Parts: sequence; structure tokens; C-alpha cells
Amino acid sequence: MKLWQKIFLSSLCLIIAAVNVISIVLLNNSHKLLIEREQEHATNEYEYFAASFANTVVYERLKTDKIILSSDNVRNIASDIVRGRSQGQSAAAIYDSDKKLIECSNLPELFDSHDFKSYISSLNVSGSSYDIRIFQCGKIHYMTVCSSVKAENVNYLVMTVTDVSEIYTLRDRQTDFVRKIGLISAAVISLILLVTVIFLLRPLSRLNIYTKAIAGGNYKIRIRKRGSREFRELAENMNIMADSVQSNAARLEKIAEDRQTFIANLAHEMKTPLTSILGFADLLRIKKSVSDRERQEYAGVIVEETKRMRALSGKLMELIALGGTETEKKPVSLPAMIHDTETSLSPILAKKYVSLICDSEDITIYADEELFKSLLYNIIENAIKASDMGQEIILRAGMSQGNVVIAVTDHGIGMSEEDAQKVFEPFYMVDKSRSRKAGGAGLGLALCVKIAELHNAILSIDSHLGEGTTVYIIISGEECFK
Amino acid sequence: MINILIIEDDKNIAKMIKATLSIVNYSGKCCYDGKSGAKEALKGTYDLILLDVMLPEMNGFEVMNDIKNCGTPVIFLTAVQDVADKVKGLRLGAEDYIVKPFEALELLARIDVVLRRSNKTQNIITYGSIMVDISGHVITDGGEPVQLTPKEFDVIVYFLQHQDIAVSRERLLSSIWGYEFEGESRTVDIHVQQVRRKLHLKDKLITIPKLGYRLESQEKP
Repeated sequence: MKLWQKIFLSSLCLIIAAVNVISIVLLNNSHKLLIEREQEHATNEYEYFAASFANTVVYERLKTDKIILSSDNVRNIASDIVRGRSQGQSAAAIYDSDKKLIECSNLPELFDSHDFKSYISSLNVSGSSYDIRIFQCGKIHYMTVCSSVKAENVNYLVMTVTDVSEIYTLRDRQTDFVRKIGLISAAVISLILLVTVIFLLRPLSRLNIYTKAIAGGNYKIRIRKRGSREFRELAENMNIMADSVQSNAARLEKIAEDRQTFIANLAHEMKTPLTSILGFADLLRIKKSVSDRERQEYAGVIVEETKRMRALSGKLMELIALGGTETEKKPVSLPAMIHDTETSLSPILAKKYVSLICDSEDITIYADEELFKSLLYNIIENAIKASDMGQEIILRAGMSQGNVVIAVTDHGIGMSEEDAQKVFEPFYMVDKSRSRKAGGAGLGLALCVKIAELHNAILSIDSHLGEGTTVYIIISGEECFK
Repeated sequence: MINILIIEDDKNIAKMIKATLSIVNYSGKCCYDGKSGAKEALKGTYDLILLDVMLPEMNGFEVMNDIKNCGTPVIFLTAVQDVADKVKGLRLGAEDYIVKPFEALELLARIDVVLRRSNKTQNIITYGSIMVDISGHVITDGGEPVQLTPKEFDVIVYFLQHQDIAVSRERLLSSIWGYEFEGESRTVDIHVQQVRRKLHLKDKLITIPKLGYRLESQEKP
């Protein structure tokens, strides 16, 4: 069952129950009052009747001048007086001390009823209090007032009967009326309640629609904040959730995309040399006669491309190894590492007659020595590749704004701004054929970025076409050993 | 002479393709980027274009878009084995799609299929006293018709088109019986023997141990 249905039904039930209980209590109350009034009225009537019975007896005694009237005389008087009263609405009955009926009005439905008879037999003839009771005979209600009256030393049971049906019909009519009014008001209330509940809960269904949309993958939409405060808060929180979902999804998408690109590039980089190798090897295999020149050319290409694959797989292994290994950082002297790197690069430097000028402040950093040397090696090697014969490369290292900055500057070919932006991407090569001839796989800088990340450092590049390139390694001051 | 344009940025691959083409006497011209390749292709002097997908300046699909109106059939070369890429290439109007790396004979076979479709191959091949009319499916030896089964006919045509090339049994199986044919290489041997016997090619169609067969070309008189 939906929330609006629950709220609607439960409030409706409560309201109807409350209205009904109140009206029943009110009705009962007024009914009780009416009965009390009628009792008073009946008592008065009774007193009048009883007095007139007693008076008639006394009067008769005085008239006949007897000391005491015989019981027969009293009986006659009682019969007369009952008959005298048995007109219109009123009725009466008188019993002797043995509860034998002396005379009663012509009201057989009451006087002959079983209830009434057992009531009479339960009465105490000598009691003096009024006994008031209501009997229902068919549709008519009678109120009986009964008490004993002493006449000529004998107790008689005197009873007056009043028709009180009017009160009951009144009550029935009122109940009927209340029921009708109750039904109509319930209908009206339910209508109003329905509209109110639906109106109040409308933001909920809107929230629901938006949530479904977000769950369905539409991370861009945001929920408008409307409705009562709770809903506005909920909408706001859901927007915050959607924000984080969107940014996470975007991040994951970016990672997946990068990975996809990496794999596509890797496939390309592996298949390109393989194509040449397979093609030329196949030619050597199937051709009937291969000239010496052809053989040398074909085999030359095969060797060249095999070396390229070897370089690629080597770099790839390094890259994979970097992802898995824990770095072992310890304080190392930066100038010492630079010196070591320079030594291992000396054959390549000498080959191109490039001189490397190093100028480093005496700084000690927390670093994994081998990895950091490899970072320096790759960057300087790139600078050498970009340089022409006999040019110089300048390496400066020092503190700047609390960070350690290492700058490697060459005066080589440089590159365009567009290339400089992409150069850290795996497999990106500014000049493919040149880079391949130099044995590059396009992974060097990607490797450097990984190593830099492990050392809490960032790489940035500043390059101008034809003027040269400067690569900055900016290591956070936290990695600095004091 | 069949003239083929090779648009491929890797110089070694371009060189390899050119060398492969030369063994069936097709001439090849290499372009190393998309722009110059498209310009060259638009001259319309080529029978077929081999087009790499990943190219500097303009990628293969862009080149394809530019040159599709000149009517030259195009075969894409690509390192990426991606169905979406394949569909894209073929939808642009390419005739075929070869995934790198490929064997020399596979390349030649694909090229032959495309050339045959565009009616650019020779219809009549002569070899000594043997004359083959490919479209008429007729083979004569010294003017006398020779009775060959359809598969035997395909075998001799394949050898005539690939003279002086060592052809493996697997290559023959996939070229003539189709890739899905799972017959044994014995089938190939039987057919080659039949062809040899019927056309008296015992000295020309030679067996190369561990590899397959080769049809020696006729010495130029």
C-alpha cells in the first residue's frame, strides 16, 4: 500500500471514529436528560394519583362515617380511581398486598407481558421508595412508577404508567440524522483529506521520478527544491548524492577510457613492428630467389623492428612493475643521484657530443634511489634525443617556494604547445619515425609520471618549437629531508 | 601492370608491402601521411589503394571520405581488431579490411579478390603451351582442351597467378577451399598431383619439403 493511501485511510478512520464517538456520547447524554425529566414528570403524576387514591379512601371513610373501611370498599375505590385515570395516554394499576391485581387500565401488551409480571413479583409491597422502570412493548415504551400506598392499614401497590415512546423516537430520529450527517461529512472530509495528502506528498513522487532517472544513468539532472522543508532537504541531499555519483562515474569513465586508449595504443605499437617482421620474414621464406641486397634489407628491417619490440616490452615491464611495487624511500642526496645519472648517461652524451651541465644545491630528499635515478635518466635521455650534435643540456636543482625543483633544459628541436600537452600520455610520440629510429616506444614520460607520483612530485613541461624544451620536476617540500 | 598506392605511416611496413607486391609484379607507390596519400589517390591512376587507419595529419577514415568518389577500390590496413572500426571502414565504401600483422600471401590473396571483383586482373593467362581463360573456365594445352575438375582448375589458376612463390598447403586450403573447409592437406596433395599429371607439369610444379609447392616461371626465351 502506498504512503498516501496509508496516511489518507488512517486519518479518515480516526476522524470518522472521533465524530461518531462524540455524537453517540452527546446523543446518549441528551437522551438521559430527557428520561430524567420524564421520570420527574411521571413521579409528579404518580404522587398526584397516589394522593388522590389515599384522599378518596379518607373521604369515603368520612362520608360513610366508618372508623375503618373494609377492604372491599377500598378495592372498589381503587377500581374507580384506576378507571378514572385510564383515559388517553395515562394508565394505572393497583395491586393488593398479595400482589393480586385489583384493577388496571386496558393495556394488555404491558400488563400481560412476561417481563412486567416478573417485575411485579420481585417488588416489595411494604417498600416506600418509588420504583421507576421502563418497559418496551413493541414500538412503544412505557415508564412505570410504582410504590406502596397504605390505605386503611393495608399496603397497596399503586402504579402509574406513562407513554414515553416520544423520547425513544426522538433518539432514533436523532441517531438516524447523525448517521446521515456523518456519512455526508465523511465523504466531504475524505475528499478534502485526499486532496491535501496528495498535494503534500506530490514532491515525493517527483523525487521518485528524479531518483529513477538518476539511477537509470542520467547523472546530469538535478532535483528542483520544492515542497515542505523535509522534501527540500531530501532533494538537496539527493542532489549532493547525484553530484558525487556523477563525479565518480566521470572519474571511472576517464580511467576506463584511459585504459582503453592505452590498450589500443599498445596493440598498435606491438602490431606495427610485428607486421614488418612477419611480412619480411614471410617474403624471405616464400620467394624463390632473394638477392643479397634484398636479404640484407629485409633482415635489417627485421632486426630493427625486433629491437623496437624489445624496447617496448622492457619499458612496459618497468611500467607494470612500478604499479605493483612498494617504494623504499630513504634520505638520499640529490647532487649524488644527479652525478650517478650523469655517469650512466655518459656514453650516449659522448655519442652525440652533448655536454650536460649540472648545478644542484645540496638537498637531501626522501626517495627510492633507483626509481628516482631512472626518472632523471629518462628525462635527460629525452633531452639528448631532442638535441642536435654538440649542444648543451642544463640541469638545475634547488628550492623554490618550499618545493624542490629540478629543471632540465635543452636547446633542441622543441615542440608545439599541442604536443607538449599530450606528451605525458602513454605511446604519444611527437615525431614517430624519428622517435622510433632513436629506439623510443613512447612510454618514457608515462613512466616518469608514475615515478613522480610515487615521490609526491609533478612534472611540467615548457617547450617552444625550434627553441628547446624545459622539463620541471617539482617535488613537494614534505619529501625534503632537513 | 597493376598499380597500387600504399598509404602507410610506418616506413618499414610500407617497404614490406611494396616488396610483397613486387613478387607478383605489381608496382607500388608509398605515401607516409594521410594528406599526401589522399592527394596522390585523387590522381586516379591507381588500380587499388591500401590504406592504413592510424595516420598522421588525416586518419584513414578521413582519407577514405575524401577519395571515395574517385572509384578506386580501397583495402584498409589496421592494427586494431575492432568490429566497430571494421564496420565503419566497410560502410565508408572500403572493399576489404586486413588486420595487422598479416602474411604476405594473405595480403596478395585479398588484393587479388578485390582486383578480380573490379575486373582488373588478367582474364587470360598463358604459360608455355598452356592457356587459361579464367572467366570462361577453359584450359587448353597446345590447343587441346584439358578436362579438369573445378577445384583442380582453381588450383592451377592459383599457381599461375603466384608463379615462383612457395605456397603452403594451408594457404591453398584457405584460398581455394575456403577458410571454413576443414579438409586435410592430403586433399591438396591429391589435387596438385592431378594437375601435374593432366598438364604435364612434373618439372615445373615442384614440391618444397615441409612447406608446400611452387610453380616455376617459364624462362624468358
